[in-house]
Amino acid sequence: MATLAGHRGRRSKNPLAVEDAIAGWVFILPAVTIFVMFIFGPILYAFYTSFFDRSTLGNRNEYVGTANYREILFDNPDFWQAFRNTTWFTIGVVPTQTAIGLILAVLANRKIRGKTFFRTAFYFPSISSSVVISVIFLWMYQRNGLIDFAVTKLGFPRPEPVWMNNPNGVVGSFLGLFGWDNVPAWLEGPSVALLSIMMLNIWTTAGTMMVIFLAGLQDVPGDVYEAASLDGASRWRQFRDITVPLIRPVTLFVTTVGMIGTFQVFDQIFVMTSDGGPNRTTTTMAYLIYQETFKYGSGLGYGSAMAMLLFALILGLFLLQRRLVGQNAL
Amino acid sequence: MTSRPPFLSRRDTLKLLGAAPVAAAAVTAGPRTRGVAAQDTTEVRLTSAPSSPAEQRVLEGLLQEFMAANPSISVAYEPVTAEYDTKLQTDLAAGTAADIFAYDSLPAPDLMQAGVLEPMGERLSEAQVDTADFFPGLIEAFTYEDELYGVPKDFSTLGMVYDPAAFEAANVTAVPTTWDELRAAAEAITEAQGSPAIVYGPNFDRYIAFLYQAGGAVINEDRSEIVLNSPEALTALQYYHGLYTDGLAATYTDVGAQWPGDAFSKDQAAIVFEGPWLIGFMAENAPDKAYEIAELPAGPAGKATMAFTVAYGINANSEVKDEAFQVISYLTGVEGMTKWSTGFGVLPSRPAVADAYLAEFPRRVGFLNGGEYARPWQLGPGGTRFSANANAELQGLFAGQLTPEQALENMQSRAEQDIRLD
Repeated sequence: MATLAGHRGRRSKNPLAVEDAIAGWVFILPAVTIFVMFIFGPILYAFYTSFFDRSTLGNRNEYVGTANYREILFDNPDFWQAFRNTTWFTIGVVPTQTAIGLILAVLANRKIRGKTFFRTAFYFPSISSSVVISVIFLWMYQRNGLIDFAVTKLGFPRPEPVWMNNPNGVVGSFLGLFGWDNVPAWLEGPSVALLSIMMLNIWTTAGTMMVIFLAGLQDVPGDVYEAASLDGASRWRQFRDITVPLIRPVTLFVTTVGMIGTFQVFDQIFVMTSDGGPNRTTTTMAYLIYQETFKYGSGLGYGSAMAMLLFALILGLFLLQRRLVGQNAL
Repeated sequence: MTSRPPFLSRRDTLKLLGAAPVAAAAVTAGPRTRGVAAQDTTEVRLTSAPSSPAEQRVLEGLLQEFMAANPSISVAYEPVTAEYDTKLQTDLAAGTAADIFAYDSLPAPDLMQAGVLEPMGERLSEAQVDTADFFPGLIEAFTYEDELYGVPKDFSTLGMVYDPAAFEAANVTAVPTTWDELRAAAEAITEAQGSPAIVYGPNFDRYIAFLYQAGGAVINEDRSEIVLNSPEALTALQYYHGLYTDGLAATYTDVGAQWPGDAFSKDQAAIVFEGPWLIGFMAENAPDKAYEIAELPAGPAGKATMAFTVAYGINANSEVKDEAFQVISYLTGVEGMTKWSTGFGVLPSRPAVADAYLAEFPRRVGFLNGGEYARPWQLGPGGTRFSANANAELQGLFAGQLTPEQALENMQSRAEQDIRLD
């Protein structure tokens, strides 16, 4: 009897559970299919392709082992230049956009008049088309453009060459003021042209970071602040010792997303520069991958290998960053 | 808005999901049968990169005339307005490239070497088309290992376009025909107008004309060696860059223009080194501005200019090669080319058509004369890559990061790395 009852019990419960499970799988099937077909599959295939010398036009396809990787790492000066450019870009953009995003979030989180307006205004650049913004900034950076106009109105000399055509490194130029000429290439810093794009990038992404920080700030319980102010903590103390530590997981998320975004920067380079110029100083890694693969005929294998190196780099930096910020944070 | 759809039962949802792939398959299968439906006409796909709506209209008109005369062939024209070379490459890789595609002289060696183009020689001789009827430099641009892979549809040369009013204001009466005269004229005009007379850019496709005028070359005669770093090249670079350092020339970005022609149309330049593409641009942006066209001034080694040319080639994987060839024959034949070049304004690649062209556009003789000695804008397999790398070095030179000697040295080593010699 007991077994029968158990059997009946399972029967009466199970068909629904099984059906639920099937339905669940069926419902996520489109998402899984799309993920495997268009994201995970291509990544694996790119990894596989990176061991081949395969021309885009398909007349060359042979297994070459790690030759692509070796050529990129030891025989392609452009790769290292792109690596330097991208690193400077990241070093410049990520901390700045994180700081600005946090400041904007804290400001927009206060009970001030027109709060919604400011939130919308700060977020607006992030939802505008990246290409349109790039083109507008390109006009602003032009000779006699808005920025030239502002600089000359303020009484400064007009910079030569014009912003987007200046390949001189900003750190190198700064050190040059103190008489240190012949700065090594890795210390030259981003070129003025790259710096111009960095500023644009900060402007567009700070809003996104603000929104993420705002969500994080909502999660900080109000009674903590209340207790702190009863104890006589100043606004700055509260920010430093309550807000910053409590939103650390959000900070990790923001810096990670920011880092991935900056290492992959492509559209702004594509729209604003000609072939990653002047003098290759705005050629980022993602842009170089595009150039090598689709413009210079280095082949799909070579481009895939470069993309894998970029992937490894981002992954490595992410793991390092997670370790620095705290393992349990994310 | 008022009636909500009834909730689907779970079973219905499953049915729907099951049906979706079938429906999707039916949709994707659709276009494949399209060719079968058209019974007697063969469809030939043609793709090119029209530089303007005007160019597209003229080509579409020509194709209409062709189809009226050849009812058995229908040509589907697929214009690509941006990133043409990239799109062509991915289309070829995916096997979806058009039957006929236009391609530029610079990437031509890479395409010819890759074997994606159908050889033309045999078909041309069968159709009794003599390649000697074309400008020799243009045929050379689409020849690889003694086989022709495309028929040049037109070409553009670099000329010296100048503003006669600026010349007059500076009392320059003779059109400069040598480097020294150009320099003297530029000095006079710069002084008279108070701003640089010439607007150009740190572009290898302009500098190379000066390189040839000085007697230099990128690759030696038998294509065995890169010979870019030569005294002649240095002379040319010092002259070209010297115009800039001496304040006689400005780059187009210096004056806030998109390209030299843009600066010319805004009266920011008295002299630019551009091609026939400037004419349509001027008609649209500065229709009232008077300008003249002359040949590029001769250097120490004589006259030289560049021929930027585009050919129609047949996709090696095409299934309608004979029909495709018929289309190309019409477009590049005397009749089609006359209509094409006089309709749109690019230079005809057949000297025989030149008379009709000059009758229509007498002032463009400066561009057309260059056709006799123009060198194709081509640097061998890997040329696209080298051209971009050479531009980077020139940008470094113009920004003051490099000396002409260093820039040349870098360009030499870049060329050795990028250009694959035979």
